[in-house]
Amino acid sequence: MEKIKQNPIVKKLGFNRIILFCILLIMYGVFSAVIQGFAGAARIMSILNYAYFLGFLALGVTFVIATGGIDFSIGPVMFCCALMSGYTLNTFGAPVIVALLMSIAIGLCFGCFNGYLVAYVGIPPFIVSMATMNIAKGLGSVFTKTQSVSWPQANDPSGNGWFRNLVKFNDFPTGLIIFIVAVIILYVVMNNTKAGRYILCLGSNKEAVRLSGVNVRKWQMLAYVICGMMAGIAAIFFVGAYTTVQPGLGDTYNNEAIASCVMGGTSMAGGLASIGGTVIGVLVISLLQEGIMALRMTKEVQMIITGLIVIVFVYADVSARRRKN
Amino acid sequence: MGDVILTMKDISKSFPGVKALDRVNFELRRGEVHALMGENGAGKSTLMKVLTGIYTKDTGIISYEGREITFHNTHEAQEAGVVIVHQELNMVGDLTVAQNIFIGREFKKGFMIDDRKMVQESKKLFDELHIDIDPKAKMSDLTVGKQQMCEIAKAISHKAKVIIFDEPSAALTEKEIEDLFAIIRDLRAQNLGIIYISHRMDEIKVITDRVTVMRDGTYVGTLITSECTKEDIINMMVGRVIYEDPKTHSMVPKDAPVVLKVEHLNAGKMVQDVSFELRKGEILGFSGLMGAGRTETARALFGADPKQSGDIYINGEKVTINSPEDAVKHGIGYLSEDRKRFGIVVQKTITENSTLATMEKYMPGLFINKGAEKAVAEQYIKELDTKTPGADQLVVNLSGGNQQKVVIAKWLVRNCDILIFDEPTRGIDVGAKNEIYKLMNHLASEGKSIIMISSEMTEILRMSDRIVVMCEGKKTGEIPIEEATQEAIMDKATRDIK
Repeated sequence: MEKIKQNPIVKKLGFNRIILFCILLIMYGVFSAVIQGFAGAARIMSILNYAYFLGFLALGVTFVIATGGIDFSIGPVMFCCALMSGYTLNTFGAPVIVALLMSIAIGLCFGCFNGYLVAYVGIPPFIVSMATMNIAKGLGSVFTKTQSVSWPQANDPSGNGWFRNLVKFNDFPTGLIIFIVAVIILYVVMNNTKAGRYILCLGSNKEAVRLSGVNVRKWQMLAYVICGMMAGIAAIFFVGAYTTVQPGLGDTYNNEAIASCVMGGTSMAGGLASIGGTVIGVLVISLLQEGIMALRMTKEVQMIITGLIVIVFVYADVSARRRKN
Repeated sequence: MGDVILTMKDISKSFPGVKALDRVNFELRRGEVHALMGENGAGKSTLMKVLTGIYTKDTGIISYEGREITFHNTHEAQEAGVVIVHQELNMVGDLTVAQNIFIGREFKKGFMIDDRKMVQESKKLFDELHIDIDPKAKMSDLTVGKQQMCEIAKAISHKAKVIIFDEPSAALTEKEIEDLFAIIRDLRAQNLGIIYISHRMDEIKVITDRVTVMRDGTYVGTLITSECTKEDIINMMVGRVIYEDPKTHSMVPKDAPVVLKVEHLNAGKMVQDVSFELRKGEILGFSGLMGAGRTETARALFGADPKQSGDIYINGEKVTINSPEDAVKHGIGYLSEDRKRFGIVVQKTITENSTLATMEKYMPGLFINKGAEKAVAEQYIKELDTKTPGADQLVVNLSGGNQQKVVIAKWLVRNCDILIFDEPTRGIDVGAKNEIYKLMNHLASEGKSIIMISSEMTEILRMSDRIVVMCEGKKTGEIPIEEATQEAIMDKATRDIK
């Protein structure tokens, strides 16, 4: 029962997080050395654009994974949100603010749907989210009559382009500010509120929490609701940076978001989650994406790497647990 | 009875901290049904596990068919003809009866499994045993009784010479038990040796030829069934010296108010029409053998499992308890027998576990007041004398006794008035046990009311003010501590069920 002596700073930040952050810096160094003109503000802005929407997805799914669940629907749900609200904006002339709120609301609905089925009906999260993934893809396509949707440019004569200021105002990365605020809020929710405490505890031992007189279903559902809402917000940042959304896509972002979580130290078995770790994981994936594009390789190469990352980090988690037991 | 087929002599087996078997003797003849009896934890199962190679014995000799042998696993035992029919059936529900019987040794035709031959062979087996089961039926469609017959047929098909029945009748109906006995008599007539483990005294009298009684891992003696009475057997089962002083009189004042009243509680097969009262400051012991329905009663009362009917009154007021949430709201705390699964969140800290049932108290606004939370955790570490370097320690790193203290702290922080301790000292070493006892007595003297479920007779007699005895899902007796003896409790716990 000896207390392991640890440097307080290392203990606070977590050894794995520090290693991951070093990996991030080394990767940036290598890319900058190998690729001409990689270092510099333009690339960083581009990396950030990717990190915003992926970050919201990954932060959301961190809550679900903390309960011991999984959500494979977030990428397509994000696209569905962007498609349906963008179509409403373009075709029915709804105000931008309505479209933005609609995007968040649609994500919320998907989250409630997933959460209810998992927590109250008792269908395994894997099955629920697989089904929802297809529903989201199909719904997005049907709603837009299988047309891609382009959101207004910043200089659109209608004045509807103002929402892009959420991502970038002139050359200032406003998105970064919003993202940091969101990270702080979610960090507090995870670590300092009842919701976070119960979500983590039920991910570790649901039955013990239930027998402590806690309404575990409610809190389990909440994790999916948070996740869905984050996908709705992610949609706004996606269109703010990339403008056009095509129906029927989005699944690659599931894997990238989940990879970010497990890299950051969130355990697929539930019970352990790190908001900070997820953020670093997101930066690693975003940097990787940018580097691979700069090397003129295709997205498919990145998919291979992301897939391998998931396996390596989940293996590390599993073997660490085995050693502990 | 024929000649001796199996002798076990001076068998000893230790587990860390426990001597499970201490020089136990056992003898089985061909053509006899030999009962093996004893309380929970007497060592019956351990002895059978040593015989069939699941455990390795420390010392002692097993001779089988005149040769000294040691089986290294159940497969070797099976090959030699020693087969066990388990209490929990080991059947694959989605396969057919025939497929189950020949699982792991299927007949083949080339690469293909020869289902037809398996069906024919099964049919032959069933005919021999006069069992009427369709070998092509799906296992999960059969009743538990029929499944048991299949299990027996499977045992016979191994060319068994010794068959061990581990509480075979626990899940059977009267009619099924008669069928089972018919088969056992058949097997006896075919000169097989049969070991029969059961708690049902009436069955022992009906079906067995001899009885061997074990107690606390030791051999007590062997009797010829037709020459002994139920009382003889019970006396042998419980006749231990109690080192710890039993309580001699109730500590509860005569006029103490009833805090909890349960009436006609029904929940599945294991809880049938259970009623009892609990007074303020009382420790109410729940005694009974394994599978008597005590834990199930507690879980139904606590709302952890659904119940069919029954009324619960707390302080005279009727309350509805459909979930643990309701129970906790009404001031009931439940300490499970399986701490790791149901009591604690092992990968979280002592602090987080201590306030798990009381989060609201430590949330002045939206956020958790971590300082106050830690302070209360530390307060209870001190009060309960939990051995830990600090409140930040993960619970997984604590010993069993200290984990139990964390669970107790969880309910004390909640300030529950009614505490259900389910096997409070299971897996806890002697020193820590005494501390838990002291703590329970202290809680009772402070006016908390305690239900204590225990399978240890000494624990029941030492702690309880009053004892409820259960047997097979029914309450069979209620004994004030002044009149309680081991014999009286055991008599009710093994009462013949008609």
